[in-house]
Amino acid sequence: MASDENSNLSGPGERTGWLQAVDAISTLCGWVSATMILISVGITCQMIFVRFVLNQSTIWQTEAVTFLMVAATLIGLPYVQKLRGHVNVDLIPLMLRPPVRKALALFTLSVSIIIVALMLVYGFEFWHTAWSRNWKSDTVWGVRLWIPYLAMPVGFGLLLLQLVADLAAVVTGLDKPFNINKESR
Amino acid sequence: MDPLFLGAILAVVTVLVLFSGVSVAVGLLIVSAGFLLIFDGARSLQLLPEIFFGKLDNFALLSIPMFIIMGASIASTRAGADLYEALDRWLTRVPGGLVISNLGACALFAAMSGSSPATCAAIGKMGIPEMRKRGYPDGVAAGSIAAGGTLGILIPPSVTMIVYGIATETSIGRLFLAGVIPGLLLVTLFMMWSLYDTWRSGAVDALSGRSFTWKQRFEILPRVLPFVAIILGVLYAMYGGLATPSETAAVGALMCLAVAIVIYKLWSPKLLWDVLRDSTRESVMILFIIAAAGVFSYMLSSLFITQSIAAWIGTLDVNPWVLMFAINIFLLIAGFFLPPVAVILMAAPILLPIVISAGFDPYWFAVVLTINMEIGLITPPVGLNLYVINGIAPEISLRTILVGSLPFVACMVIAILLLCLMPSLATWLPDYIMGQAI
Repeated sequence: MASDENSNLSGPGERTGWLQAVDAISTLCGWVSATMILISVGITCQMIFVRFVLNQSTIWQTEAVTFLMVAATLIGLPYVQKLRGHVNVDLIPLMLRPPVRKALALFTLSVSIIIVALMLVYGFEFWHTAWSRNWKSDTVWGVRLWIPYLAMPVGFGLLLLQLVADLAAVVTGLDKPFNINKESR
Repeated sequence: MDPLFLGAILAVVTVLVLFSGVSVAVGLLIVSAGFLLIFDGARSLQLLPEIFFGKLDNFALLSIPMFIIMGASIASTRAGADLYEALDRWLTRVPGGLVISNLGACALFAAMSGSSPATCAAIGKMGIPEMRKRGYPDGVAAGSIAAGGTLGILIPPSVTMIVYGIATETSIGRLFLAGVIPGLLLVTLFMMWSLYDTWRSGAVDALSGRSFTWKQRFEILPRVLPFVAIILGVLYAMYGGLATPSETAAVGALMCLAVAIVIYKLWSPKLLWDVLRDSTRESVMILFIIAAAGVFSYMLSSLFITQSIAAWIGTLDVNPWVLMFAINIFLLIAGFFLPPVAVILMAAPILLPIVISAGFDPYWFAVVLTINMEIGLITPPVGLNLYVINGIAPEISLRTILVGSLPFVACMVIAILLLCLMPSLATWLPDYIMGQAI
């Protein structure tokens, strides 16, 4: 299951140079994502205070918190990838011989890179449309939608970067394929 | 191509992709994009980001990270051990009080944390060594905690139930209530089996209690009560109609963090960051799967697969209970390999229309589905709880943990059968508190 939760598995090896830089960027993303979640806790509590204690109506809070959560998810993607926190089924990889396992790891990482690149390209278009047409949300707050939509290309772009670094680490032998330490089960 | 045939191909491809070791969320995106590209043309891919974003753009999803923060901040403290100790001190006169305390602590901790692995780790760290020291068989000690931990996804607040509520657009509050009585039923079954197995193995001495003074009993309460109060407060706010699940969860998260900092002295920035990091990791993982599963179900319906399967099942004219049996087997197998959240997100949009048209209650079905997922948590090959127990009690072999857990799987199957015989076990409480579902 989740690679980091299985006792047979270990975290990534020592990385240097650009791989280290990518890791650092992803860690920063983790901080940003965690901060966004914390801010949403604060805003939601403030919203409840305004509504139930001050008896006033709230305008921007629900929307802000929702967009913060979306952004926290997208910006958090590369960090969770770095921690190997995206849950996967590693039953078959565990049963394979190491060379086949490595080939499969290279294949799955490459396909992942393609799909994430696709999401990046179309995500950029999605954002660009909102920006060039100056779309606004149809609420009282009327937030300019290119701001929350920006999280799409940024999140998938950074996830792409982390995936490319992970692929390079498997190619160079720095990372074990699927981070599996055992020879075979 | 016939949508049904397409559905069959899709099922095979999805299984192959998910078993390749790719992460579940990315796998769902790969399958969705591939099928849309082949059967609907390249233009349909342009919609993917909008659907992905749209799935996340939902205030109800806020409750997921909030309940996760609640659970992570409680799990980072000694609260689990305190809870277990308090129950042990208060239940000394009950035969087999220790294993009962452990299972009770699992149920209560599950109610506070909403996470199965966290429950296992928090109660097991102290409970398993203590049970072994007092002569309980290893299988009972490990199995009871592994099984007790699975209650995390059934007893409210449960992240799994929230995900089901979002995937099927059912009421989260009602889902939470539906899990209460089945949760208590499971705890009771677990307790009965543990006592019987301990008695059967001849460890009768282990069943006799120790004695504690009233002073010892009362002095532990202040450490346990704050979290219990928060949970009761959260549930009251939700069912008293004061606020939505997301809002109450946010207040709960803030209060749990505050209690962890003030009472359990969790004020080092490093420890706080650990709590936040774990919460962020789990939330992002789940939310990514939710968004990807949203894209997946969009693909299913735009290729008419969902509709065709529902229509096809409708023409089969099978007995609803045969259908429910087949669905249970499917869920059980899926749960063996995939995390509960992924199973629910992929299966619920397809299964729910079928289940409802066969005359079953969606809230009852949520409970049955969740118990199926609980079984997956203590059975190989994935069996997350087994590995958690293996991690905290390395001196007990994985085989003993597994064999010790199997009777608890039987308890869960009995619970599912009881729920089939008496659906009101799940539906009575929500109906009583919130009125009949419309």
